[in-house]
Amino acid sequence: MELIQIQEDFEPKVVAFLCNWCSYAGADNAGISRLQSPANILPIRVMCSGRVSPEMIFRAFRSGADGVMVLGCHIGDCHYINANHRTVKRMPLLKNLLGYVGINPERFTLDWVSSAEAPKFARVTKSFVNTVRELGPIAAEMSVEPIFVTDELVNLAAEELVGV
Amino acid sequence: MITEIRDKVAEQLEKLDGIVALRSTEDGAAPYLFQQGDNLEELVMNPRYPLSKTASKLQKRFKDAKLGVVARGCDVRALVEMAKRNQIDPDRLVVIGVTCTSEEAEFCFCAEPAPNLDQWSGSTLIGEPVPGAPPNPIVAEYAQIPYAERWAFWKAQFTKCHKCFGCRDICPVCFCEACALEDPLWVEPGLLAPDFPMYHLIKAQHMTTRCVGCRQCEMACPADIPLTVLYDLVRQDVAELIGYVPGADINEMPPFTLTLADAAIESDLVY
Amino acid sequence: MDYKNIQTICPYCGCGCALNLEVIDGEIVGVLPANDHPVSQGSLCIKGWNAHAFVGHEDRLKKPLIRKNGQLEEVSWNEALKLVAKNLGSIQKKHGADSIGVLTSAKCTNEENYLLQKFARAVIGTNNVDHCARL
Repeated sequence: MELIQIQEDFEPKVVAFLCNWCSYAGADNAGISRLQSPANILPIRVMCSGRVSPEMIFRAFRSGADGVMVLGCHIGDCHYINANHRTVKRMPLLKNLLGYVGINPERFTLDWVSSAEAPKFARVTKSFVNTVRELGPIAAEMSVEPIFVTDELVNLAAEELVGV
Repeated sequence: MITEIRDKVAEQLEKLDGIVALRSTEDGAAPYLFQQGDNLEELVMNPRYPLSKTASKLQKRFKDAKLGVVARGCDVRALVEMAKRNQIDPDRLVVIGVTCTSEEAEFCFCAEPAPNLDQWSGSTLIGEPVPGAPPNPIVAEYAQIPYAERWAFWKAQFTKCHKCFGCRDICPVCFCEACALEDPLWVEPGLLAPDFPMYHLIKAQHMTTRCVGCRQCEMACPADIPLTVLYDLVRQDVAELIGYVPGADINEMPPFTLTLADAAIESDLVY
Repeated sequence: MDYKNIQTICPYCGCGCALNLEVIDGEIVGVLPANDHPVSQGSLCIKGWNAHAFVGHEDRLKKPLIRKNGQLEEVSWNEALKLVAKNLGSIQKKHGADSIGVLTSAKCTNEENYLLQKFARAVIGTNNVDHCARL
């Protein structure tokens, strides 16, 4: 019962890396247009979505973010011509990697929001915050007891290592 | 097979300045630069060392030397990745490729135990190529494991890490002078078994388009962390999402240096 | 043009891991683990992996230094040992032998460590002997 109570009160912290040339302006635009976007978003302005290195996203999670968004310019609209081509290759790999170590990949999203797309900014932030809210706090997910040697999974790993 | 390798090395030494291979001494085997006049009876193939990394180190030191290297399949794949990133000059390197046995391939879960020497001029292959071994069973079954269990598994593994940086130091494709793993901004110094595995996540992410599956990191790990499970998974992803196989083609540039026009990917985000 | 690996024992702790020092033209440039050594079996910790770094380091102390007039000056071993003996003797006389402690090191050999504890017990007369590997 108590756990459910916590879940209902839970307000996720979401770090959003916003491209200076599009989504940051899009967020401004959403504000000017009086479009509601969730207050859970902690925006970080970067010069390009291609500038967001995987280290930054890992650090956001380490610092307690329940979710991380990267919002950039549409492909072809990049201020630096093709920098977001790297983003679109790098981020899906990172998303899968998060899944491989056990962080739900739903906690990470990449999307394109141009400076004119204020309604889209409101929509993607709202839906992402809702997704993360349903997933619950990341601290609860990470505080699970580690599975040590007794588990058969680790034995499998050990078998693989022995036999040199 | 070892006599065949020694004969080939002796033959090549007449043309080359030196050949990197393992030399067995009374202390044990270690990489060595064989030159004319050295006793080739001391040349051995086991245990495995990243000879590709040694070759790169020597090429950088001796800028005019024409060197050779006795390389297994994984070494040649590493050499390909290094050549793409200007860590080795393929024109000044002759590869003496040696195939692994099927037992060795099985131990390494190696899909390509025979070196692919098509793109290395003047190189020779010694030994009969054996078929690739099946992949690591953990990697194959990974999709069925729920996220919570994965985190619990890796938490137990990463707790054992005492940050010797051995997996980075031994890795043939880790060569950056400014390493993100040494940056206190990303990996907190002085903290063992941190709550969040920054070190291993960054290492795995940097391995995505580089890892050639040589398993040196796992063999060097004093804590027996099954690192290659993670690296194999990201490698699979790169093949599926971007269609890039590290170490396959020396003319194919690393995907993160290319635009979508040069190397298209299939994604909902590209339109 | 010369490259070889020289196997040696890690100078840091008492474990005795073996490591290969990579030597190019007489200069130590790196460390490789010793994969077939029975003690370490190809494993090294961060200290072993960087055991080559101190050999040619510019901060390495090569000669005894004594601070004279606020400046560290290079002196002969004789002068340095004389100063140490004089000061240790006067401290021992003034405050007693137990005011002195001796710290030995895992970087020394067994015999050197034995000598140092002998020095502490027989010459100075104290049991205050400790060792960095006894953490």
